Amino acid sequence: MPTLFAAQTKTKGSPPASLLPKHLGYYVERPKGLRFETQADDEHVVLFLRQHPVVLVPAVLLAVVMLAAPVFVFPLFFRVVALPFVLPLGHIIVGTLFWYLFTFGVLLSTFLGWFFNIYIVTNRRVVDIDFINLLYKKFSEANLSKIQDITYSSNGIIAAFFNYGTVLIQTAAEIQDIEYDHVPRPDKVVETIRSLIKEEKGAPV
Amino acid sequence: MIPQGAQTAVFLLLKIASLVGLGVYMVFALIMVRQEQLMARVLEEGSEPVIRIAVLVHLIAALTIFGIAIVLL
Repeated sequence: MPTLFAAQTKTKGSPPASLLPKHLGYYVERPKGLRFETQADDEHVVLFLRQHPVVLVPAVLLAVVMLAAPVFVFPLFFRVVALPFVLPLGHIIVGTLFWYLFTFGVLLSTFLGWFFNIYIVTNRRVVDIDFINLLYKKFSEANLSKIQDITYSSNGIIAAFFNYGTVLIQTAAEIQDIEYDHVPRPDKVVETIRSLIKEEKGAPV
Repeated sequence: MIPQGAQTAVFLLLKIASLVGLGVYMVFALIMVRQEQLMARVLEEGSEPVIRIAVLVHLIAALTIFGIAIVLL
């Protein structure tokens, strides 16, 4: 299988390809071999983005707490709240197994949300594939010629430290605006889209 | 201590609630597998085998725990 998401072109400030596990890239310029569902034959991907991995930290911390709960929290809880009966061993075993399965499920669904929530810039359009949760996904796109304005914002200490932010792509009125949330190097993303628009229109935005 | 009859009723309720909860969770695990397949199709060749294995392991674990619950509870 070809390497799709690992950085093919190392750019200033992005992690080297060797440090990224296969397919887990979150800022990839001109990825080789990557194709998406509605991609035209003469269309090529210029930028492939995911949210900065730092957005996964709260879920990882939650999982750590949940993993530790049966060992540290539950015994304390049952010491404080005395049940009027002794819980059978079967219930304790099933309850503990289910707790660990649930923890794994929470972590897995959060990771899937990150992995499949992707932003693509091609030589023709910008694409936003949102995987909000297991039951809701959204595919939005806008041709470069329909883009009216691009802005980016980076709020907070963590965003400033890790250099990620939100890129807002405003399009013609009939098309919904496209938002790239928590993407790494938002300034570079804006710059790339602007240069593509310039190439297509032959004039600056 | 609560009376034996009430205790049996509590355990029965707990068993039903556990099985219903695990049943709902199995559906959730199944949806996760289906969504992974669909999203992998959106990104052609983009499916990471590790993720496919992880969602399948999650589904199998949910089925197994449901089976264990039927036997043990």
